[in-house]
Amino acid sequence: MITYLLTIVVLVLIAPLLLDFIKAFKMLLLYKRPVSLFQGYRNFAKLMQKETVISSESSAITRVAPFLVLSPLLVTLFFLPPVVQGAFYVSFVDAFTITGLIALSTFFLMLLGLDSASAFGGMGSSREAFIAALVEPAMVLTVFSVSMMAGDLGVGQAGVNLAAHFPKEHMASFLFAAISFFILLIAENGRIPVDNPETHLELTMVHEAMILDLTGVYLAIIESAASVKFVIFASLFASLFMPFGLQYAAPVAFGLFIVKLFVIAAAVAVIEVNTAKLRLFKVPNLLGIAIVFAFLSLITFYVLGA
Amino acid sequence: MIDFLIGLFLATLIVALFTSRLYRLILWYSMNSLILGLLALFMGTALDDRAMLITGIATILIKAIGIPYLLKNLGAKFHFVRQIQPEIKVQYAIILIPAILVFTFYLAEPITHMIHGNANYIAISISSLFLSLLLMMEHRNVAPKIIGFLSMENALFLLGITATDGMPMLVELGIFFDLLMAIVVINLLFHNEEANL
Amino acid sequence: MMLTLLVLPALIMFFVSFSQHPKAKFLLPVSSFAILLPIIELFVLPKPYAIAGSYLVADKLDTYILLVSSLVGIGVTLALLTLDKHVRVTAKAYRRFYRFFAIFWVGLTVSILANHMGIYWIGLELATLSTVYMIKTNHTRAAHKEAWNYMIVGAIAISLVLFGIILMYASAKPILGEDAMRFDLLLSHAKEIPSPFLFEMGFAIATVGMFVKMGFFPMNLWLANIERASFYPVAALFSGILESAVIIGFFRFSEIAKEVNYAHLFGFVFVYTLLTIFIVSFLIFRAKDFMRLFSLSGIEHMALIALFWVSGGTFAALLHFGAHAFLKPALFLSTGVLESKGKYRIAGALRGYHGKKGTLFWFLVSLFLLAIISLPPSPMFFSELYGFGAMIETAKHSDHMLAMIAAILLLLILLSVIFYRFVAIYQSMKYEGKEEEKKVYTSELFALVIFALCLVALLLPASLDYLRSIA
Repeated sequence: MITYLLTIVVLVLIAPLLLDFIKAFKMLLLYKRPVSLFQGYRNFAKLMQKETVISSESSAITRVAPFLVLSPLLVTLFFLPPVVQGAFYVSFVDAFTITGLIALSTFFLMLLGLDSASAFGGMGSSREAFIAALVEPAMVLTVFSVSMMAGDLGVGQAGVNLAAHFPKEHMASFLFAAISFFILLIAENGRIPVDNPETHLELTMVHEAMILDLTGVYLAIIESAASVKFVIFASLFASLFMPFGLQYAAPVAFGLFIVKLFVIAAAVAVIEVNTAKLRLFKVPNLLGIAIVFAFLSLITFYVLGA
Repeated sequence: MIDFLIGLFLATLIVALFTSRLYRLILWYSMNSLILGLLALFMGTALDDRAMLITGIATILIKAIGIPYLLKNLGAKFHFVRQIQPEIKVQYAIILIPAILVFTFYLAEPITHMIHGNANYIAISISSLFLSLLLMMEHRNVAPKIIGFLSMENALFLLGITATDGMPMLVELGIFFDLLMAIVVINLLFHNEEANL
Repeated sequence: MMLTLLVLPALIMFFVSFSQHPKAKFLLPVSSFAILLPIIELFVLPKPYAIAGSYLVADKLDTYILLVSSLVGIGVTLALLTLDKHVRVTAKAYRRFYRFFAIFWVGLTVSILANHMGIYWIGLELATLSTVYMIKTNHTRAAHKEAWNYMIVGAIAISLVLFGIILMYASAKPILGEDAMRFDLLLSHAKEIPSPFLFEMGFAIATVGMFVKMGFFPMNLWLANIERASFYPVAALFSGILESAVIIGFFRFSEIAKEVNYAHLFGFVFVYTLLTIFIVSFLIFRAKDFMRLFSLSGIEHMALIALFWVSGGTFAALLHFGAHAFLKPALFLSTGVLESKGKYRIAGALRGYHGKKGTLFWFLVSLFLLAIISLPPSPMFFSELYGFGAMIETAKHSDHMLAMIAAILLLLILLSVIFYRFVAIYQSMKYEGKEEEKKVYTSELFALVIFALCLVALLLPASLDYLRSIA
C-alpha cells in the first residue's frame, strides 16, 4: 500500500519534469542551449503567486472547470498497473473506465475553452472535440486488445499478467497495438504532428487556444493536468508495452520504470524534431492509421491468434 | 521474432496505404522489403535452408536498396508527380482496410486447421496481396502503381517463404529475373515517353 | 536438342532484328517455317516425351497446342512483313517489335510445354512483359496509356496466377516435396492432397488471374482497348499465342481441380463464364469497330472453351480452341487491310478489292467472318454441338438437368445476339458504303491462306481422331 501511494506521488511530482525533459532534449537535438529541467516547477510556483484574473464574460464554469479537468486524471493515476511486483493495485478497472475518465477531463477542458467566450476558446474546443472523437475509439480498442492478450480485462491486472507471462505467440497483434497506442499518446497529449504546445499561432494551436484566457492558479492547474496526462499515457505505455523488469527488487524495478518513462519521452522528442506539424485536416489520416492498427490488432488476435 | 517481423511487414504496408508523398511511399516500400529479407534470413536459419538465405540476401540487396534507389532516380529524372493523394478518402480507407483484413483472415481460417505451425502467415500474405491491390487502385499516377505492383511481388514472396518453407530455387530465380525484366520494361517505357513527348 | 530446335526460329528473329539491312526481315518467314520440323517430330515421338528433364514434357495436349500456336506464329511473321505498308512505323521501332516478338515467342513456347507450374509462370511473365513493348511500338498517346495499363493489369493478373500456384504448391508439398510443382505428379496424386481447401483456393485465385488475362468478367473492355490502341499483329498474337498459353494453364490446373472437387470447379467456372458471355454479348452488340468486335468475340470464345472443358467436353473444347486460334488471328491480320481507309468505318470495308488477290482476300475474310459465328461448315459449329452435348451429359448424372437446359438456352440466345450482330456487320461491309481502292499484299494473303488451310485440316478425320485421343 505504501509503494502504491508512493508511486502515485512520485508520478505526480515527476510529471512536469518529463515535459521539460522533452523540451530540453529537443533543444539539445536542435543544437540549442537546453532549458533547465526544473523550469516546470518554477513556472508552477510563479503562477501560484500571481493574481488570478477572470474574464467578466465568463460564468461559474471557469471557476470550477480547472479542478474538474485535473481530478479525473488524478483518479486515473490510482488505476494504473503496478510498477513493482507485489505492490497494491486496482485490478478491475477496464479500458472503458480509463478512456472515460480521460474523456471526462477533456470534456471539461473543452467546456472551459467555450466558456471564456473568446474566438480562440471556441476554435480550440471544436478542434479538441474533433481530435478526441477520433482518439477515443482507437484508445478503447487498443487497451482492450492488449487486455485480451494478457487474459484479463482489468488494465491493472493486464499489466501484471503481461509482466509475468509475455505473450510471445501474439507478437504481431501486440506490435500493432503498440503502434496504435503510441500514435494516440502523441495525439492525445498534443505533441507535434497533431498540435504544437509551444506556439500560439492561431492556425495551429489546439490545447493552447482553450486556455488562452486563464491566469494564475487556474493556469497552473491546467498545466499540471496536461503533464499528468502525459505521465498517465507514458506509464500505461511503459507497463503495457514494455512489461519487463518488475521482478527485480523494489527500488531497482521502480528506477527501471522511471527510466522507461524517460525513454518514451525521448522517443516523443525525436519524433517531434523530425516531423512537421500536420495540417488540422490531415490529423484524421494519422488517427485513422491508429484506428486501423487498433482494429487490426484485435482481429489478428481473435481470428489468427497471432 | 518471426511473428514480430510479419507484424511489421503488414504494418509498413498499411502505413504505405495512407502515404501521400512519393518518396515516403518508396521509403515504406523499401522498409517492407527489408523486413521481408530479414524474415527470409530468420526462417532460413531456423530451417537451415541455404537457398532461402541466398534469396533473403538478394531480397535485401535488390528490393530494399536497389529498386527504391532506382525508382527515386527515375523519379528525379522524369519529374514524377510527388504529391500522390489517394483516390480513396481516408475515412473510407479506415473502414475498407479492416474490412479487407477481416475478410481475408476469415478466408484463410480453414487453412489454420490444416497446416500446423505458421498458418496465420498465409492469412497475412493474402491480406497483403489485397492491400497492395488496394494501393494500386487508390492512386491515379503511374509511380505509386508500380510500387503497388512491387509490394504485390513482396506479398507473393512472403507467401512463398512462409507457406511452403521455400519454393524450388529455380522458381525463385525465375521470379527475380522477371522482376528485373519488369524494371527494365518500366525504364524503357519512361525513356520512350521522354523521347516521344 | 529438341528445345533448341523449337526456339530456334525465335532466336533467329531476335538476332536478325539487330541487323540494319532492309531485306533481312524476309529471312524470317522462311526460318519460322523451320519450327514445324521439331513439332512434326514431336507428333511422331512416343508421348510423354521429356524435352528437358521433368520441366518441359511434350504430351498429346501440349503438342497440339504448340502446333496451333506455332502456325499462328508463322502466319503473323508473314503478315508482319507488310506492317509498314499499312501503318506508320519507324524502322527502329519495327526492329524492336521483332525483338520483343521473339522474346514473347520463346516465353510462350516454354510455358506451353512446361510440366512445372513455376516454369509455366516464368514463361507467361516473360511474354507479358515483352508484350508491353510491342504495344508501345505504336507511337501514340493512346498506345502509351494502354501499354501502362497492360503493364499494371497484366502484372496483377500474372501475380494472381503465381499466388495461386504457390498455394497449390503448398497444398501438395507435404506428400510430393519439391515435385509438387509438376503437373503430371499433381494430377496422379490429386486425390491424396492433404488440404483440398488450400488447393481449391489456390486454383480459384490462379483461375481468376488467368481469366483476367483473357479479358473475362470484370475486365471485359481491357483487352479490347489495348488491342485497339496497338498495331494489329499484337492482337493476332494475343488471340493466337498468348491465349493458347493461358488456356493450357487453365486446362492443366482444372484437370487437377477436377480430381480434387469436381462440383466446386464446375460451379465456379460455369457461373464465371456465363456471366462473361452475358456481358460480352451485349458489348459486342454495341461494338463499333473491327478490333473491339473481334477482341470481344475472342473473349466469348475463350469463355466457351473453358466452359466446354470443365463440362467434360475435352474434344469439343480442343476443336473450338483450334478453330478459334486460326480464325481470330486471321481476322485480326485482315483488319490491317480492312481499316486501311479509316479506322472506324465498317460500311464498305469489304468493297473495292480488285484483281485476283483482292477477290481472294474478300472471299477469305467473308469466310472467316461467317465461320467465327459458327455457320455449319466451320469447325466451330461442330465443337459447339459437341460442347453443348457434353454439358447435357454432365447434367444427366446430377439433378440439375433443368438448370442446365435453361443455361444452354440462355447461352443460345446470347450467341444468337452475337450472330445477329456479325451478320449485320457483314452485310454492312459488303453492301453499304462507298467503294474505295484498297491494296492487298501477297505475304498477308499467304498468311490468310495458311490459316484457311489449317482450318480445313482441322476437320480432317485424322486430326479429329487425334483430338479425341487426347481426352
